[in-house]
Amino acid sequence: MNFDHIDIIQSLIDGVLFGSIYALIGLGFTLIFGAMHKLNLAYAASSIAGAYSGLMSLTIFGLPPLMAFIIGPIMSGVIGLILYFACFRFMPRGNHLAPLMASIGALFFIDELIIHETSGSPMSFPAILPDAYFFLGEFGIRGDLLLVMGFSFILMAIVMLLLYRTKLGLGTRATSQQPIAALLCGIPIHRTNSATFILAGVLGGFAGCLLAASVGVLSPLLTLPLTVKGLIVTVIGGLGSIRGAIVAGFAVGAAESIFLLVRGVNERDIYVFLLLFLFLVLRPNGLFGTTINRD
Amino acid sequence: MTYLLGILQTIGVHTLLGLSAYLLLLTGQLSLAQVGFFAIGAYVSGILTVIFSWNIFAALALGSLMAGFFAFLVGFPALRVKGLMLVVATISFSEIVRLFFFNLSWRVNVNGVEVGPDSTQGFREIRYFAANGWEQIHIVGLIWFVVMVVMLALWWLDQVRAGAVLRAVGTDELAAQSSGINLTMVKVAAMTGGGVIAGIGGGLFAHSTTYVDHHTFVILLATFAVSYPIIGGLRSVIGTLLAVIFIQGFIIEGLRFMGDYRNLIFGLLIILVMNMRPQGLLDGHLVADIRKLLAKLTKGGKADA
Amino acid sequence: MLEVRNLVKHFGGVRAVDGLDFKIQQGEVFGLIGPNGSGKSTTVNLVCGVFAPTDGEILLDGIDLGAIAPHNRVDAGVARTFQNIRLFSELTVWQNLWVAWRDQPGQEQGWVSNWFGRSPARRQEIQKLLEFSGLGDKADHLAGNLAFGEQRRLELARAMASKPKLILLDEPAAGMNSAEIKDLCQRVLAMKEMGMTVLLVEHVMELVMNVTDRITVLNFGKPIAQGTPIEIQNNKLVQEAYFGSAENAHGGVS
Repeated sequence: MNFDHIDIIQSLIDGVLFGSIYALIGLGFTLIFGAMHKLNLAYAASSIAGAYSGLMSLTIFGLPPLMAFIIGPIMSGVIGLILYFACFRFMPRGNHLAPLMASIGALFFIDELIIHETSGSPMSFPAILPDAYFFLGEFGIRGDLLLVMGFSFILMAIVMLLLYRTKLGLGTRATSQQPIAALLCGIPIHRTNSATFILAGVLGGFAGCLLAASVGVLSPLLTLPLTVKGLIVTVIGGLGSIRGAIVAGFAVGAAESIFLLVRGVNERDIYVFLLLFLFLVLRPNGLFGTTINRD
Repeated sequence: MTYLLGILQTIGVHTLLGLSAYLLLLTGQLSLAQVGFFAIGAYVSGILTVIFSWNIFAALALGSLMAGFFAFLVGFPALRVKGLMLVVATISFSEIVRLFFFNLSWRVNVNGVEVGPDSTQGFREIRYFAANGWEQIHIVGLIWFVVMVVMLALWWLDQVRAGAVLRAVGTDELAAQSSGINLTMVKVAAMTGGGVIAGIGGGLFAHSTTYVDHHTFVILLATFAVSYPIIGGLRSVIGTLLAVIFIQGFIIEGLRFMGDYRNLIFGLLIILVMNMRPQGLLDGHLVADIRKLLAKLTKGGKADA
Repeated sequence: MLEVRNLVKHFGGVRAVDGLDFKIQQGEVFGLIGPNGSGKSTTVNLVCGVFAPTDGEILLDGIDLGAIAPHNRVDAGVARTFQNIRLFSELTVWQNLWVAWRDQPGQEQGWVSNWFGRSPARRQEIQKLLEFSGLGDKADHLAGNLAFGEQRRLELARAMASKPKLILLDEPAAGMNSAEIKDLCQRVLAMKEMGMTVLLVEHVMELVMNVTDRITVLNFGKPIAQGTPIEIQNNKLVQEAYFGSAENAHGGVS
């Protein structure tokens, strides 16, 4: 295994660029967890499902490839809303296991549905700027990944704007901290939570489309790894921390890339998980998590 | 008959997985590490019988002890975190285990045949039962004997103080700690016990199917493991057994005629059940009612303590 | 028995407890009162180890509690009740006591027996405690199904079950009606008779004035008065803390 510092830096660059996708997924998980303190395990799957819908709408309606990037997120938003009603809306507030289990059921369902509709074979996804490749000194930067990263930043900025400068965002934050008090203040928590799910869904849909565009294909095999990576990012970033999810996304992307370089594809994930374990032991609150003990 | 025995085999092994998750859920921990312990039990006991020609009982015992040992180790860091973080930590552990065995190659020549785990090819030829004259019915018998023992042990746990303490920790950690309970010790003990149970399940699984590979030990199986006690209800061990029969028996096998639509229905069914009975099939009131009914039927005496 | 020296607890910018000193004698019923937010519950949490103090010391019979983990403080002889009842609602009344149970020092059971045994002697003792708490016939009821007053009694019984030297009661009378408060007065006095030392945090004056031997009054995390119930009742500073000063007492809502 010969690699020098150029390989390492190149690897880092690729990793960070790719990490923006993880950041988006982590952000989505964080939004939902932050709002309801419950986990939606079907989230990554619904993002991929949205990307699939976007892709298939191209053939069904004969649309130009760019539309996949618009229809996909919209569909993911819709799926997110459906998930809210199916798995979270009617559950007793204190019960954390039941909605989690229901979201696992939804994960099975969505996965199977994808496999059904596509007969299990991967479908190629339109790439963005497939031939763009820049050189910065000795390092090559994939143009499409750069675009992905740029786009991700825009999305993150929009989310932050929504959360911190709009009434909806205020309602979301209030509901997450004190749902009953928020209700008493006249904040429509179910509408707020629905909006959060839709927002997270749209975000995830973009992530799914961007991911598919970066690797060139969409496959049902993407859902589980994306779920796991998204969860890792959420935890490393610190539960409920938006900033944390974003930073952690890039960090995990970079780490993954380095591990790939150093240990190869078979062992890469082992080290990512070990990294997570290390975090949990040394910094259980993640990078930016708060240490408020709710008890 | 073979078909029926095959289902019993599957239900038995899955019940052990579910019971392993049940023990942890009592203390309020949702652990997806059970499939990792399951894998350790499977590979260790398989290696012992195949490569070292151990006796099956000794191999199962050591396999489950090894699983328990790792559960003990994992317990400490994992239990410093709760809720979502524990879910993620345990997922990570299970994936590390799976990937480890995915890469493990330990090929040995035994009696002229190359045996042992062969990394991506999996671990074949775990043929202890066949080589020693066990018939399928004996294997099923062994599996269910173990299931009964574990269920009895877990039921008994609820009759003594240990069970109440486990549940107390699961109900309210602050109150439990203020009552003098050492939370870490209780949680690690539960994790270790769960590891042992999953380990022996893994060993039985490996030997009854004669072949395991990393595809088996995916996180999906871990979600099955926790779904049994959650759907079955945490009030009683029987709930977990019922849930396994319900899910494996009726849904997966019973809906065979629906072919590929099985898993779709399965997913929908879980969502439906959780919305209708969030406490699980066998929740506190139902169990209390059943107990009262049983007490009336047997005209038993007052509850002992 | 309990000595608190210069206890300080800051939560970020909030000075919940800001320099608290008091001593509780063995066998006393010691009251801690003050307006809302004065730091009473925080003090209880500090003594029990839920929080670590920012500064100061807590000594139980001369031993520094700071070095002892929360669950071990029960072994050291500290027990508490919670302001908003924290029973193990899915467990039976019996199990709630069983979980917290510690045997009389000198009669401890072995480890195996403690966790996995069913000792008749222990059974009798638990039943006695249940009788004392008026829950003798409710042993098999789920704690979550009890009436409010019964739940409060169970909460108290559970604290007593660990045979504490010092028992901390955090607003035990909250939400009680007159009859229940009278019953609670009797209980606290009975506990005193059993040899326990009691730290009572409370708002309900009927309880405080009738059972306590001495009281410390807190305001904004600092002690503003200490003395017997009579002294405290007549103390101007205390009255101001609760009712505001005379200049502000124009016919407004109080």
